[in-house]
Amino acid sequence: MSYVALKDILIAARQESHRMRHFYLGIEHLFIALLEIHNGLASGLLTEHGLTPSYVIDAIRRKVGKGSQHRLWAGIPNTPRTELILNIAQEMAMEEGRDAVNERDLLLAILDENDSIATRVLNALGVSPDQARDAISNQPRTRTQTQQTFLKIEFASDFEGHLTKDELFVLRRMFHGYGRIVVEQQLTGGYTSARLLVVRPIQVDNRADAAVVVKIGNADAILDEAQRYERYVKGTLPPLTARLEDRPTAPETCDLAAIRYTLIADANGRTQNLRDVIQDWSGDHLLSWLRQQLYEGFGESWWKQSRPYRFEAWQEYDWLLPPVLTLELFAPEKMPTGVHVLRHPVKRDVIRKLQYGDLVLVENFIVQKVDRERGAIQLGLSQGSHITRAYKIEVRGIDFEQETYFRGEVVEKLIGRVWKTRNEQLINALRILEPDFNIDSRVVQLGDQALPNPIATYQTLLDATVVANLSTIHGDLHLGNILVGPQLSALLIDFGRTRDGHTIFDWVTLEMSLINERLRPLAAPGWEGARQCAQWIADLDSGQASANGNSVTADMLNVIAGIRQIASQHANSWHEYYLAAAFVSLRAMTWTTLSVDGRRLMLYLSALAIQRYQQRKLSDDSARTDIHASDATDFMSNDWKSN
Amino acid sequence: MDRKIAIMVLSGVEDGALIPLSMADDGELLGIQWRVSIGRREDNHLRLRNDTFVSRYHAYLHWRDDQWWLEDRDSTNGTFLDNGTDFFSDIQVKGIVPIQAGQPFRVGRTWLRIQTDE
Repeated sequence: MSYVALKDILIAARQESHRMRHFYLGIEHLFIALLEIHNGLASGLLTEHGLTPSYVIDAIRRKVGKGSQHRLWAGIPNTPRTELILNIAQEMAMEEGRDAVNERDLLLAILDENDSIATRVLNALGVSPDQARDAISNQPRTRTQTQQTFLKIEFASDFEGHLTKDELFVLRRMFHGYGRIVVEQQLTGGYTSARLLVVRPIQVDNRADAAVVVKIGNADAILDEAQRYERYVKGTLPPLTARLEDRPTAPETCDLAAIRYTLIADANGRTQNLRDVIQDWSGDHLLSWLRQQLYEGFGESWWKQSRPYRFEAWQEYDWLLPPVLTLELFAPEKMPTGVHVLRHPVKRDVIRKLQYGDLVLVENFIVQKVDRERGAIQLGLSQGSHITRAYKIEVRGIDFEQETYFRGEVVEKLIGRVWKTRNEQLINALRILEPDFNIDSRVVQLGDQALPNPIATYQTLLDATVVANLSTIHGDLHLGNILVGPQLSALLIDFGRTRDGHTIFDWVTLEMSLINERLRPLAAPGWEGARQCAQWIADLDSGQASANGNSVTADMLNVIAGIRQIASQHANSWHEYYLAAAFVSLRAMTWTTLSVDGRRLMLYLSALAIQRYQQRKLSDDSARTDIHASDATDFMSNDWKSN
Repeated sequence: MDRKIAIMVLSGVEDGALIPLSMADDGELLGIQWRVSIGRREDNHLRLRNDTFVSRYHAYLHWRDDQWWLEDRDSTNGTFLDNGTDFFSDIQVKGIVPIQAGQPFRVGRTWLRIQTDE
């Protein structure tokens, strides 16, 4: 096997230029062509840095953007920089006594020149072109096959679970160079499909290294998590906590990738997440742990850095819900009449009125996910150059042979027919609760309280303006993502949603996780239990001691009250808290992984939060009038900053 | 005194091209400042004819108080500065902002950079 010749690279580069409607031959196209070479030098270079070629290709496409339909010149001319770099490559080939330029010459020339979009993207992704150049020039002038030693994978005797072929492959790649690894434990993950393993690598001479937590999942998601870690998490962590080790492992031939976090295990060498540990903890112990280890440990650089932030609810919470629309791609010859236009700023009224079969023109949305297998892409609203996740729109029926889409691309115009609306999606998720629950009803009855049906009311909540606080947040702070280390220190994992966002979101997420996993099992099964559990929370909201004064239940409710107290330090008003709670529980209701009982409870919690939100909003907004909310005796009101 | 610079094109069909500008021969002198207009129409001092995302009169570069300034002229697709911390979200220029020689900026889809001799 030898290096690929320039003429073949040029063919691929011209195709890339054509797909992107650029109609010139630039370094970006040549570099993408180099990356597309299977087992090529460029892709090997990236794999060593924990990046997949497709990730880098999308990054380049995103930076450059697609061209417009009309061509301003004939043919596909070389750019001045392409001319320059091809000359450098030609000289390199001639120095070695060859006439024809190959893959290696071209890659070295691009890295040498070091001023093109290709090397700027490499720099941005943490790959130094200078070092890459040295690494490549140390490679043999003719291609050799590197031999792979086979890594043995063993499982601890009490390991439960089954790893797929691809997962084993990624593990082998990650621990390349070790003698063997022992997969000791599987940590129960969140609601993602990613797998969390505790792995102990063992050297060839049988010396065991420290165990690490390995997360294996969809390559794009894993690489995003690594980038988020670099941006938000690194440097903000308390001294003793899980850190991302090394670069991600992302084999070119596989859709999965993996990252590893340091693991600081307890005295028995086990790692436990909060979900497992608190089985044996008292409520008081849990609450003081949450305050001292979690809040104080991470607070300084995260939640305590909160600053004023005014937002409309949809900006922070729309993305939690199912796609606002699912469209079937429609490519008419000319613009049809009667098309509904969606662009920034989105008019929610327009979306609400859309029905099956309506034509929709989507303008300037950003591609957030590309699903080649299902022939679908997911779009989100773009505001200027800022990417928000709001207004997810799924577009199906895409022929990827005909049209390229890449993550981060701004789609200027796209027409589709409405296939499914968000309401239909939500209603489908709730069908499982029928016939005991009437989806069309305006109210959800809890004891003598008539609560608003979340399905009928959530849309008005999205319009709310919230005066709140912003800080770095974990973004998915449920019990499974909090690990307990030595000396009971708090360790966090899974930074896939870490971002600057609504400060109290993390604490609302934690509360819901705790209610679902610890409080709900204390109630009876079925609807009765869901109502019982919701009533406990309702009583907590209004500051009444629960009629059902079981001490274990009271203990857990006390923890939840404590979590709210932590959150209250970073919120301006209670309605802000209930708003977040309404959406977090509404989202949980759509999880197919959540038990039916769990979904029943989430329905009530969402209804309850919406009602509380509406009451508090009313009272907060009209402090000057004599309106008093029914829960004016709220036991936490005193802690609240008045606004 | 004359001042000579060059603008390097960093993207698109003219990627790598170097456009020389001199205070004596190009742009306009307005009292204490030197101004170079950028746009798609031919009467701009710096003409970007190959980018349909560039407005007819898109932006100004100013030299004033020993400092470069970049001004957006209400262009349709905006003028942007390279974001040092997040490579993928460029900073939109509103009004006039200072800019360093060597710092990439974007007019429509075209990335440019001021090159000086120093």
